[in-house]
Amino acid sequence: MALVIGIAFGFALERAGLGNARKLVGQFYGTDFTVFKVMFSAIVTAMLGAFWLSRFGVIDLASVAVPETWLVPQLAGGLLFGIGFVTAGLCPGTSCVAAATGRGDGLAVMLGLFAGMLVSGLTLPGNLNLTARGALTLPEVFHLPYGVVVAAVVAIALAGFRWTEARA
Amino acid sequence: MKRYADPYVAGFCLGLVLLASFAFAGRGVGVSGTFVWSAAALAAAFEQAEAGASAVESGSSIAAALQTVLGIMVGGFASALLARRFKFTIASKARLLTAFAGGAVMGVGAYLARGCTSGLALSGGALLGAGSWIFMLAAFAAAYAFAPLVRKAWHS
Amino acid sequence: MRRALLIAALVAGVLAPLAGSPYRAPQLDVQRLAAQIEAEQDHVTAVELAQWIRDRKPGLRVLDLRTPAEFEQYHVPSSVNVPLPQLVAQQFARGDTLVLVSEGGGHAAQGWVLMRARGYASVFFLRGGIQEWDEDVIRAPEQKELSRYFGGDRRGGC
Repeated sequence: MALVIGIAFGFALERAGLGNARKLVGQFYGTDFTVFKVMFSAIVTAMLGAFWLSRFGVIDLASVAVPETWLVPQLAGGLLFGIGFVTAGLCPGTSCVAAATGRGDGLAVMLGLFAGMLVSGLTLPGNLNLTARGALTLPEVFHLPYGVVVAAVVAIALAGFRWTEARA
Repeated sequence: MKRYADPYVAGFCLGLVLLASFAFAGRGVGVSGTFVWSAAALAAAFEQAEAGASAVESGSSIAAALQTVLGIMVGGFASALLARRFKFTIASKARLLTAFAGGAVMGVGAYLARGCTSGLALSGGALLGAGSWIFMLAAFAAAYAFAPLVRKAWHS
Repeated sequence: MRRALLIAALVAGVLAPLAGSPYRAPQLDVQRLAAQIEAEQDHVTAVELAQWIRDRKPGLRVLDLRTPAEFEQYHVPSSVNVPLPQLVAQQFARGDTLVLVSEGGGHAAQGWVLMRARGYASVFFLRGGIQEWDEDVIRAPEQKELSRYFGGDRRGGC
């Protein structure tokens, strides 16, 4: 099952052109907003899908593993990740796609990722559990109903799409 | 060489894949986990004690992680092949070096955050995970902030 | 295609706040719960919990329901402090094994019923609470190995 999902995932990423580092990086130079459009279209689709399917009992949202929250490590990790991302032009997922489409730099990123994690694992303390918050969700953080947060995210995404279309 | 798909449609399809993962696997799609696990396995092979926190996963999730990454490569390959976009390109040495360096920094970041753009920003983002959104916003902010500094590298 | 998607997203998004909660309402199948309690499938002993922790059972989450002050003074290693009202509002991964701990086990037993009602299948409570942990794991003369693993002395905080 994971294989099938992975295949579909990689296929969609490549179709969007995100296997190409130069195209990806355009996001951060204001020339190509594909990253934002693809990411937020995906997030909105999955979010709305999960919300409504759960609301009608087709799936159980509570049974889906929400990635846990570690405030400080994810903030710090995110910042580092962003720096690495704009330098490499590819993220872990897209680096696999790039490598699979014959791009040498994709492979270089994959090797770099591996190296970075190896070093982290060997030097950083194991089980960094500081500021852990468990499966915390935005509705819980803002004390808002789930549906309201969903609407807000959709609004932000659509506004963002509008803005990037005006720019392009 | 065919043109790339409409980003909104591609994103929509990606979202459907995520949704399928939620429904059938009870979790999102993560990529960094596989890298962490392989790095940890390598470290363990050299009998290093501190082989990473999230490394000790159960057998089934390791298999799933490997399948995911393999699948992504197969899928990307298939798409490129069908669109006649497959081509072996080896970039300049400088580009390969910056790619490696960027990858390494991302590796540390993903290790700390316990996830990457697929598992946190996309999957966790769709599930409204607090830490996932923090990660995503921090990554975007840092990327924008750091972009001017690597602009030269992208114009070679 | 693009336009259709965007409109659909807009509609689905606007209607979301009006739809109520996406989570299933708690269900209380009292017959089944009673049967489980009778069959002693609802709790673990301190020794069992100690073995789970030592063996790094995957997905194990030990949740302490006592006050922060009590938690501060001593708590089971690897446990997290979660007061009952927060426990019943928080989402946990369904695959995880939750073990509830209180001072004597009473509160934790109540927490068990509530979490089972919320649909968590893999949840247990520590039968005798921290007291049992202290007697059977920390001080236990017959469990020297476990006792030493967990520090053997209650006075030493975590």
